Amino acid sequence: MLHPSLGKILLSCLERDLERIQFLDGFRGAAVPVLWNFMYQSDDHLPYSLPSISVQSAIPLYISPSVPLPFPLGHGTTTLGFVFQGGVIAAADSRSSCAGLVACPESQKIIPVHSHLVSTTSGTSADCALWKRILARELRLYQLRNRRRLSTGGAAKLLSHMLHPFKGTELSMDAGTQSKGTDGKKTGSVSETGPRLYYVCSDGLRLQGELFSVGSGSPYAYSILDGNIHWGLSVDEAVSVAREAVYRATHRDAYSGNNVDLYHVTAKGWRRRKREDLKEEYYREKERERKRVEERRREIENKKQTK
Amino acid sequence: MALLDVSGFSSFSGFGKHRQAQLVDRPNHYSFGAKSQEFAVPVGVDPSTFLKSCNCEDGVSIDMNHGTTTLAFKFRHGVIVAVDSRASAGSYIASKEANKVIEINPYLLGTMSGSAADCQYWERLLAKECRLYKLRNKQRISVSAASKLLSNMMLGYRGMGLSMGSMICGWDKKGPGLYYVDDNGTRLSGRMFSTGCGNSYAYGVVDSGYNEDMTVEEAYELGRRGIAHATHRDAYSGGVVNLYHMKEDGWIKVCKEDVSELIHRYRKGMF
Repeated sequence: MLHPSLGKILLSCLERDLERIQFLDGFRGAAVPVLWNFMYQSDDHLPYSLPSISVQSAIPLYISPSVPLPFPLGHGTTTLGFVFQGGVIAAADSRSSCAGLVACPESQKIIPVHSHLVSTTSGTSADCALWKRILARELRLYQLRNRRRLSTGGAAKLLSHMLHPFKGTELSMDAGTQSKGTDGKKTGSVSETGPRLYYVCSDGLRLQGELFSVGSGSPYAYSILDGNIHWGLSVDEAVSVAREAVYRATHRDAYSGNNVDLYHVTAKGWRRRKREDLKEEYYREKERERKRVEERRREIENKKQTK
Repeated sequence: MALLDVSGFSSFSGFGKHRQAQLVDRPNHYSFGAKSQEFAVPVGVDPSTFLKSCNCEDGVSIDMNHGTTTLAFKFRHGVIVAVDSRASAGSYIASKEANKVIEINPYLLGTMSGSAADCQYWERLLAKECRLYKLRNKQRISVSAASKLLSNMMLGYRGMGLSMGSMICGWDKKGPGLYYVDDNGTRLSGRMFSTGCGNSYAYGVVDSGYNEDMTVEEAYELGRRGIAHATHRDAYSGGVVNLYHMKEDGWIKVCKEDVSELIHRYRKGMF
């Protein structure tokens, strides 16, 4: 149980954070004031639980009209995640596009939320970055209040409920949260062990699964993953399949490209592989093919000579 | 002449002037377009304005999606053509064993995706033109010329709502040939194409397994895999895989395998 004075100190720190976040959000006119009402409840005597999102007033709340999007936004990216015996693999490309312009060729689409939870993003970068920070903060608060980490399912549920008031506004976000569950430190409740993968979308959809791919490059990645993923993969095989899938998607999709980021989440936490430029992969493949064609030609010539 | 003016007869002005749609009565349709170039348009309704009204957001919206998956690729030993066999009308599966490859002649194949009626009609018309070419010129039509005939037919009716994405595959004097022809009039020559709404899934698989000098068996397997994975993820593709191999002396039909069995074979060991 948190000491009341400590609780107040925490709250004041958060207030400062919130002001900063409100400033960032002001440009889109999102309904930040609505959501954060619950944070200011000063009933310290009640045991803290997960923050409730229920709105208390009966009068219609201030929801500022959302700024219309300047052009129809597609989720121009390729991100994927899958579960196997060695944990969870998350892979994504690194191209941020703005209609036809590549705004940033080195953006981070996989954001670690805490030591065992990693989240991929797709949709508008601003929305994704903001909501991931908010989610990270909420999970940390939960951990401090309840002395255990929130399960992946709980984190996904929290995210989808936080996005619910914005349903119908033009918020655009898809996320895949994944973690390898921890065990032990619980106080008798059902412990969740093993790797988990959830897909959360700004419509409010939340699905648990073992293989997901999100974004405009996802169909190209799906077909490769479908054929090669199974539970018994080794870590190296899983990493190479994920890289291949992202590479193929970036090869065919205009809005995906540049580099591939890979995160591998295990019971010990997440580990990030060095970022790989896909241009190298393309040249390596061309080189391989050239060598194969040469070898073939040599074989045919040898056969002709021996005959 | 005075008599012409008095009777009100206006002769066909021909090119350069504003073309008029004339209601011509003719004994049969066999000679349509034979002497002079003609286009037939339905009476009364102007197709392009009708379709524009159907595509706007408020009101009826008719989505012309190419609901299928077909793929074809060239390799050292010829051209592999693989298609699925599902014909859908909205969310209803009209046929699970539709034939989406038209065998124009023993050395030319055409695939169909888009509106089944359009594809079947225009490709049969193409088959007729190819046959006429052979009879008139005593030699086979080249793949390039055949695809050009088809694309010109499409261009004649451009904007009037045709929906067709087809690949013309064959083997002629220049070797194996593969052309993609579209209802917009696009005509592209290439090494590998895939059409239909399941095409992106097929592209991923075939891209990763393709190399120029595959063996014939490997190429068959790649074609089958491409269609199988596409039908697994795409709702509008399914049924069986029809696989053709275009060789120097003509095409052969390799196999006709059910997609669900293929997918079970590939995903053995999945959880």
